Amino acid sequence: MSILEIRGLEAGYADLQILWGVDLEVAPGTLTALVGANGAGKTTLMRAVTGQIKARSGTVTFDGDDVTGLAPHVKAERGLVMVPEGRHLFPTMSVLENLEMGATPKRARDDIEKNFDLVYELFPRLKDRLSQKAGTMSGGEQQMLAVARGIMSSPKVLMIDELSLGLAPMLVIDIFRALEKLLTTGITVLLVEQNVRLALGVSSYAYVMSEGKVEMNGPSSEIAEDEGVREAYLGI
Amino acid sequence: MDTLAASLLDGLLIGLLYGVAAMGLTLIFGVMDVINLAHGAIMALGMFGVYLLFSEMGMNPYVALIAVLILGLLFGVIMYFVAVDRVIDESPLASLLSTFSVNMIIIGIGTAIWTTSTYNVEYSLGTVETGPFTVTGARLMAAFLAVVITALLYLFLNKTRPGKYIRAVSDNRGAADLMGIPSHRILALAFGIGTAIAAVAGGMIATIFPITILGGSTYELKSFVIVVLGGLGNPLGALIGGLILGAIEGIVPVFMKTTWVPVIEFGLFVGILLFRPTGLMGTKK
Repeated sequence: MSILEIRGLEAGYADLQILWGVDLEVAPGTLTALVGANGAGKTTLMRAVTGQIKARSGTVTFDGDDVTGLAPHVKAERGLVMVPEGRHLFPTMSVLENLEMGATPKRARDDIEKNFDLVYELFPRLKDRLSQKAGTMSGGEQQMLAVARGIMSSPKVLMIDELSLGLAPMLVIDIFRALEKLLTTGITVLLVEQNVRLALGVSSYAYVMSEGKVEMNGPSSEIAEDEGVREAYLGI
Repeated sequence: MDTLAASLLDGLLIGLLYGVAAMGLTLIFGVMDVINLAHGAIMALGMFGVYLLFSEMGMNPYVALIAVLILGLLFGVIMYFVAVDRVIDESPLASLLSTFSVNMIIIGIGTAIWTTSTYNVEYSLGTVETGPFTVTGARLMAAFLAVVITALLYLFLNKTRPGKYIRAVSDNRGAADLMGIPSHRILALAFGIGTAIAAVAGGMIATIFPITILGGSTYELKSFVIVVLGGLGNPLGALIGGLILGAIEGIVPVFMKTTWVPVIEFGLFVGILLFRPTGLMGTKK
């Protein structure tokens, strides 16, 4: 039984169709990775799932309900939350206020103290910066805050679009460690990641997208062994 | 010297009121990049709101301001959903035309009801003398209320959850949606608050000056100057911009004809647009 199930999803921008019938499932309590070359349609898929762009056909089933046509804020209220590519923080607001804004859904407001503790444990650096304006932080800190803000919303499924993009290697390791720690809390994650090696290392199941379709899917360890994937993405 | 000081004091007190008027405009622009061309008409509605509640229903004008605040909020929320929400993602021209249409409707209906004659709120708080200065109680009260309104807006935006939602939506509407913030409802709230502030500013003007249904347009123009002085989208800047404009109106008539005041004001407006387009205070936009 999957908590997020995408069936035959088609979407795009104006005259340009990007997704051509994507099927994807995420099992509860796991991290599922979504990898693929630039332009494969990963971000478009994320945007279609959250409702930022309309699905032309196909369905998104979340937690047993068809949520295909719902607006992004309604999906977030239900627990389907995305950390968007490029962070998209609230730059003129403080770190603390950004975290508070994450805790908007009703469920999240009940859990707010617990979530603050979790976020400070995962990203101790944020705790020292609570009154700093989010827009003045470094790229790595901003990415931490973006993930932390997502966690504050008590997601049932947290979708993270490009976790490591643009971060220095040391920070990438830090943030993946935090992600592994986060997984021990039983959260469900769908991770879009251009660092395929790390993505396959941290996930239990993986999808490979190409030209708007799912090209391959399976347990991450098997995907990592696949000749085509190794050549195309791992450089081996 | 005393004449100058007294005139400057009068100007500064009125300047605070101008600042509040501009605050409604700048809040709306700052949050949703919409220039509300019905701003002056809404101020005129606020003027007539206080006039009617006072003259027809015998309400104290300062109590009437509270009623105008609430009605202004309601009017703004409705106006948002009727006229603004549908063009919020279109080009700026669409919202300019749309809010200008609302302006025409208000002015048209208002003129039909009240014609363009002058009305007065016949209510006085007397005068207050401090040393060499004599100021009317109404001006002092308006200045005091201007400071209170600014402080309340500041607290609302920074200390309450709905206020923070407004700032979040202003910063990044898409991200706000992803966090579960219903951005269109928050935009409606922000528009309602901006409208309520404009209406109250109009109401306060009615306690000081004679009013007409077209009277808002003067203040709308002043609001544009102030908003540019203080930086678009910056409510505190609006209050300071208002003080600057008030100071000009206080000082200039002492040295030259009053008719030069708008020339200097709009000269300043053009100068700032040319040389410091982010406003004297600077801002994020």
